[in-house]
Amino acid sequence: MHIKILLAGDGGQGIQSLSGIICRAAFANGLFVSHIPNYGLEQRGGVSLAYVQISDREVSYPKFSDPDLLLIMSEQASQRTREYRAKSGKVIDFTKYEKIISENKIDYSSRNIFFLGLITKVLVIRGFMEKDCVFEALKEKLAKKSNWENNIKAFETGFQIGV
Amino acid sequence: MPKNKKTKSIAFCPGCGHIIILQTLNRVLQKLQKADRAAIGLDIGCSLLAWDMLPISTFQTHHGRAVPTMVGFEKAREKSIAVAYTGDGGAYSIGLQSLLWAARRNNPILVIVVNNTIYGMTGGQTAPTSLRGQVTDTAPAGHDELPMLGPELVRELNGQAYIARTAANEPVILAEYLERAIKATEAGNFALVEVLSYCPTNWRMKGVESNNHLNKLKDTFKTGEIL
Amino acid sequence: MKNKREFLSGSDVVVRAVRDAGAVSMYGYPITPGTEILSKWIREAARDKRMKYLQTEDEIAAGFAVAGAVLAGEKSFTATAGPGTILMQDALSMAEGMRLPFVAIIVQRGGPSSGTVIYSQQEVVLATHGGNGEGMRIVYSPSSLTELYDMTRRAFNDAARYRFPALVLTDGYLVKTKQVISNFKKIKNIPAPKIVSRTGHVNLRNIFTVEEELNEEILRAQKDYVKMSKTIAKSESYLVADADTIIIAHGIVGRVARDAVDKLRARGLRVGLWRPLTLAPLDVRGFAKTRRAKNFVVAESSAGQLADLLKNRISNCPNFSTYFRPALGIETDEIVKFVMKKYAKK
Repeated sequence: MHIKILLAGDGGQGIQSLSGIICRAAFANGLFVSHIPNYGLEQRGGVSLAYVQISDREVSYPKFSDPDLLLIMSEQASQRTREYRAKSGKVIDFTKYEKIISENKIDYSSRNIFFLGLITKVLVIRGFMEKDCVFEALKEKLAKKSNWENNIKAFETGFQIGV
Repeated sequence: MPKNKKTKSIAFCPGCGHIIILQTLNRVLQKLQKADRAAIGLDIGCSLLAWDMLPISTFQTHHGRAVPTMVGFEKAREKSIAVAYTGDGGAYSIGLQSLLWAARRNNPILVIVVNNTIYGMTGGQTAPTSLRGQVTDTAPAGHDELPMLGPELVRELNGQAYIARTAANEPVILAEYLERAIKATEAGNFALVEVLSYCPTNWRMKGVESNNHLNKLKDTFKTGEIL
Repeated sequence: MKNKREFLSGSDVVVRAVRDAGAVSMYGYPITPGTEILSKWIREAARDKRMKYLQTEDEIAAGFAVAGAVLAGEKSFTATAGPGTILMQDALSMAEGMRLPFVAIIVQRGGPSSGTVIYSQQEVVLATHGGNGEGMRIVYSPSSLTELYDMTRRAFNDAARYRFPALVLTDGYLVKTKQVISNFKKIKNIPAPKIVSRTGHVNLRNIFTVEEELNEEILRAQKDYVKMSKTIAKSESYLVADADTIIIAHGIVGRVARDAVDKLRARGLRVGLWRPLTLAPLDVRGFAKTRRAKNFVVAESSAGQLADLLKNRISNCPNFSTYFRPALGIETDEIVKFVMKKYAKK
């Protein structure tokens, strides 16, 4: 079993944090994981991409052009990943979740964690790991931050909703 | 060289000093009605992001090589206003040799050094102007050398050059110094204007804190014309 | 070394390898995508006072500082990329001429000029023959994190034993990739040669008064280089024995090509892979194993630097078709499609 996840957003939206948590969870679950980031030249404001692969076998090559799951968190990211859309399995487009995010009062800095919830649901359904595995990784990274309550809420909401 | 028609508005980080400095340079050149005679050679660092920003001929060069490029450009086109726009790394580290020689020879080019005491584009490594004790990506325990005072050093080599230092939070003075510097190059002299600048991203500061830090830098890097 | 499962990036692996190899100092200049090797070395040095380092004023200075350190008998190295690799040629040339055990990690990025800060396989020429000499260097091309570790270890040993500059030619993708890795090979370290002895004195030169002297020096070095090649030139031959079509690729493209071979075999095509592990010296004898094949495909993220190298070094080199993607990554399916289009029976 093998899944290719491409995460895309603006620098500062927490794409690399998000991919870090997913990778940590997969690693803790004994799976093979591969991650490679991709940035523009700018230190801020450019597009931030993370190519993540989780597998039961060693991963040969870090990049791919046919993600099973494509997360788009911004307009800029949408432009940048235009060519991936046609070849993608599921596309998680932030514009489709604006309403849910505001209805559930998920604050801006927890949006990536909301999407973590969504992605986790997919990983659980497809048998890659249990929900707790991701939650543990999330806790390890963010439990000490001030935003923790909001992050738990964002994660749970995302998981509930699924894709 | 391919011309890119689709240009982004501003590629610099929010709060970056480059934006103010470049806009001021543009205003001065426009005011003097000399923008069409000017050419700006950029270092490879954050300055490279200015390649498509201004309505002035601008081209990227290589890291540390904006100065020698503009020496050649000016010699090929003597009525031009040749500007080498570089960061502290390009000017005082890898490009120091070329900078000192251009000054020594009194090449009539204007060198603008944007000094934010850090290597921005590569992610915050030590710069020749980093302060003693400053924590950077390559000095995690704090830098152990004193910062380089470029304009003062260049003054040792050239008594007739126009040399000044100011800051990104003094745009009126900056405009004045740039105007004088341009006039100096037109009179056949080397000109160097160092501009203390913000790097909120790598300083890990925002707004007021970043401006306070910039003002604090003036204790180490004296502003004014260097006579 | 215990087989502990870890999630490491290419830069982590390089730093682990150079430390395990006994490297004492690193000289470098920030340049993407190699900077992390310098900053990670510096972070380790905070905990181990034996580790020395200096961020130099540029790559030329970094290279000569490494040369100085190895002259003094210390295991030293640098890491650079793209425009930095160009500047490094000055010191590499001196290392070639003076037979110094100089080790460098070259992290290929897009070129020419500032290109991209990301990836390419466009520094093959620079690595194998970038100076003003005859290219007597050792160049490894790792295709995975495991190989990146092995080859970095090997670089120090081979440089010490044979006294030619040793370069690990990797790229921005591999150095930034983070993967699960658990089997670091146990390798014994060869001590650094004491070139400038502490007792007595040595007199070394790299310039000669007359042509004949230099020519003799070069011939001497060539003898050593050819002798060394028999031992250290390496390649991987995968399913070549009965292959009609051989794909030739190096570095991470080599890994991708291997998967392509599997996919093509599954479709009934008799395809094999020949992958140089050392670009210099090239394993010409290993290449002979592919002679049965009718078709050859060279795939690389450059406009022919590997292809040219093969043509230069392999006598009676067969004709090959080429899949060139300068400055672009290459995925498995691209190679599969290319081979199918060219060689699958309709």
